[in-house]
Amino acid sequence: MANMPPMQSLPELLKKLWQRLGSMSLAIILLMILAIASVIGTVLLQNQNQTDYLQQFGPLWYWVFRSLGLFDMYHTWWFITLLGFLMVSLSSCLWRNVPKFTKEMRARKGTISARALARMKLQEQWPLTSDISIDSLQETFRSRLYGWEFKQTEENGVHYVRADKGRFQKVGYISVHSAMLIILIGGWMSVEFGFRGNMAVPEGAKGHTIEFLKGTDTATLDMPFEVRCNSFVIDFFPTGAPKEFRSNLTIIDDGKEVLTTDIIVNEPLLYKDVYIYQASFGDGGSDITFKLYNMDGTAETRTAKTSVYKSWTDEKTGITLKVTDFKPYNVENMANPGEPVNFKDLGPSVIYEIRGPGLKPAKIKAYMNPFFDIKGKNMGSWLQVSLSGDKADFQSVGLGLDLTNPQEWKLFHAFMSHLSTTDVTQEKTKRMRSAFKMAMQDVFGDERPENFQEMAVRTMEAMQTLPQIPWPYIPMLDDYTHVYYTGLQLAKDPGMNVVWVGSGILVIGLCIMFYMPHRKLWLVIRPENDGITVVFAGLTNRNHMAFKQTFNDLFTQFDQDFKPKI
Amino acid sequence: MTSSTAEISFYSSMNGGRIALMRFYAYIGLALGIAGLAMYGQSGYNEDAFLYQILSMQGLIWGGTGALLGSGVAMIVSAMKPAMLQGKVAGNTVPWFDGMLLMVTLAVIAAQFEPAREFITYEDQSNLLAPSIVMTMNMLLVFSAVTYIAYLFAPAEFIGRLATGTAYLGIFAAGTALLLRWHESYLFDMEIGHAPVSNLYEVFIFMFIITAAVYLSFERRYNARAMGAFVMSIVAAGVFFGIWLDSVGQGLIKPLVPALQSYWMKIHVPMNFVGYGSFAVACGAGMAYLVRYRLEAKGGTAKVLAVFPSLEQLDQLAYKAVAVGFPAFTLATILGAAWAAEAWGGYWSWDPKETWALIVWLVYGAYLHARVSHGWHGKALAWWAVAGFLVTVFCFLGVNMYLSGLHSYGRLT
Repeated sequence: MANMPPMQSLPELLKKLWQRLGSMSLAIILLMILAIASVIGTVLLQNQNQTDYLQQFGPLWYWVFRSLGLFDMYHTWWFITLLGFLMVSLSSCLWRNVPKFTKEMRARKGTISARALARMKLQEQWPLTSDISIDSLQETFRSRLYGWEFKQTEENGVHYVRADKGRFQKVGYISVHSAMLIILIGGWMSVEFGFRGNMAVPEGAKGHTIEFLKGTDTATLDMPFEVRCNSFVIDFFPTGAPKEFRSNLTIIDDGKEVLTTDIIVNEPLLYKDVYIYQASFGDGGSDITFKLYNMDGTAETRTAKTSVYKSWTDEKTGITLKVTDFKPYNVENMANPGEPVNFKDLGPSVIYEIRGPGLKPAKIKAYMNPFFDIKGKNMGSWLQVSLSGDKADFQSVGLGLDLTNPQEWKLFHAFMSHLSTTDVTQEKTKRMRSAFKMAMQDVFGDERPENFQEMAVRTMEAMQTLPQIPWPYIPMLDDYTHVYYTGLQLAKDPGMNVVWVGSGILVIGLCIMFYMPHRKLWLVIRPENDGITVVFAGLTNRNHMAFKQTFNDLFTQFDQDFKPKI
Repeated sequence: MTSSTAEISFYSSMNGGRIALMRFYAYIGLALGIAGLAMYGQSGYNEDAFLYQILSMQGLIWGGTGALLGSGVAMIVSAMKPAMLQGKVAGNTVPWFDGMLLMVTLAVIAAQFEPAREFITYEDQSNLLAPSIVMTMNMLLVFSAVTYIAYLFAPAEFIGRLATGTAYLGIFAAGTALLLRWHESYLFDMEIGHAPVSNLYEVFIFMFIITAAVYLSFERRYNARAMGAFVMSIVAAGVFFGIWLDSVGQGLIKPLVPALQSYWMKIHVPMNFVGYGSFAVACGAGMAYLVRYRLEAKGGTAKVLAVFPSLEQLDQLAYKAVAVGFPAFTLATILGAAWAAEAWGGYWSWDPKETWALIVWLVYGAYLHARVSHGWHGKALAWWAVAGFLVTVFCFLGVNMYLSGLHSYGRLT
């Protein structure tokens, strides 16, 4: 058993491990592993719906990914452990090097051994006659160097001047690594003692619970105060793009209104260490009034009142209208592809799902206003219908009639009834013309509206389209009282200031490290047999190229200075 | 005295000694003055019209006072400590500040030739001037890249000067175009106006400026002209991408989404591109290193080698570029975190863009560790510089194209 390695005591082993943890190779490997691991979370969308994942990957991979925590990767034990390793490695590295560096920075040896001097790549020498005073040489050396620290020594008859610049460069190294440690600690504090979640508050309502994702579940947390949303306003650019989302909020603490203020994106509110951000918005349950246009030829209409996120059920027919969204504006680019953009607001719209016995369910987006084409011509009321329920499958359906005008609805039915009573033997266009004339007489009497010709076109159009509608009535948006909800994000982050402190130190440290290299210059004056030898040497730990230039410039100057004046 | 030595002595007297120092401090004073205007000015900082605040009488007073104070301080201090005049920082940076001032002047001149107000519409932006200046920039930069490559094979001083000259002109065209674009965005409507760092097309132009400028400063100081063939080729590739972006409508000026309406945008985005641009230069140096290495391995008889910087020099230049880029990128990421804390409710949300920024940071952090403390040099690190830039490209382009997240306003549609 002679070959067995000597046994190590536990403390010794730990010490070795500790040193190994602070080693550079481990640091590089850790950094690269962290980088590669981070990639996963950006390629795989984080914190999505579990069913979406299941659909995307199939049951096997779903379970593999889920058990590795890949759907919320940055909070898994193994990723946190990696960060922990980084912290241990940083600490070990600092532990090992800080004493060494501080010692190095304090002790400046004024002398330099001949061997060390010989190893320096940057050096020049002058053989000079002994009548030149050593003092004046040293004085010239010093006067040429601005902003350098000098140390002058004499040993065994050899005169040394050592000049240092950026002597505290190692401070940069220490600060960068401590800063990383501070930032990681700050991050840990944020996660451990902070929170971040969303709160949707309808206009006029109050909220005091935030929702957030915890792993794959949703968790809630009560805030120490209530937030009331007084109003939510969207401001638009002339182009129709949204310019500003603004919420007017009142903080209610302990039943008392404490403060009322506006918040916009990029300008949050701070109350009791909790930041309140404008994050999103949506419909806060607007009141919707539908007008139902009967398709049975009776010209009857009736109204149905409901609100967004609610359903209205018709007991007679069993039809249900489930309102999913309402939009007060619909700004669209009306230009054809390739033409200059032309944004227009198409007015309010409501989105609902219609279901009923014997009906194919459909998602419908019904606009309140009729559609006006690019020349401003009224094309009649319209809907968008998606049979799949997917918004991408919306197909526009023109109804022909402008349903916002009740007389047009009457006109259409009068026309249809006159058409059925006209003489069948007559030519079709003639029949239609006379039926329309009679219908005009019924609805308007002698006062024909100016745009009756357009109405005629729309009526003819409706004759084609309306019979194709499969529902017993068309629910159109008649009236609304719009309410937004403002989507707030509430966050408390006790680690944030720690992170800022760390960040500041990091940047300053990096600048010291990169831009204030430690440069050393020596002027060694050695008496020889019949004169003196002056050696000029330099060393730096960063940016060798620039230093080489500086060194050469200095050499040229000294060369002129030292040469005996003729 | 020949004309060229007169030129050189004029140049060195302008960019050395007291004149340079005073100018340097004047520029710092100017920047501080404008920052002061933003923070303490009469009407405060106006997100909608900061450009005109700078160019107004008020801006002139704040900036001018700053500049005068700066140069005054420099004069007094340098009189007290003459050795200060030997510092190199002022002399090295001042030409670039002069260049910026010249860009502003050029943009102001160009702005006089814009079409009349009534002919400018948001819907049809084709009659604006900046796109044609951008086109000029495209041609100059591509020409410069081609000339730099030609210089490798025909290393005549004239060709080299032509390459360098067109690269400089390209920078000026790019800067002028961007400044003019800033002005143009206000011509539609004061509300639409915003700094030209809001979409991929604009930041690409900005990146050309930074990349070329970092490279040219290296070229001037370290005589590394052969590297230009590699760096400017990267820029030229970017130019073609920019042309494509423009062709799909990304070049149009559009109003800012609410999330971007913040002074942070003017700080965070340019700072990021200082990082990206420097990494591009590091990549160019890395490529040059690898090419030279190959040629030397083949026997080193290739004529091209005569103009190439030495392997050691290229290695140093790649490191220098990273040394410029890494602190800038770190600062940019921190500024981004500060903005995120203000706009999104948290300084870090593991958004794909943030995560990729971290990945880039880790890659270059590992590069620096490998180099400085591990003593790695040469081929492996040259590869690392090239690969690091590929990661960088994915960070600022790939993330926008392939991944979704909070940075989706940079998205291609």
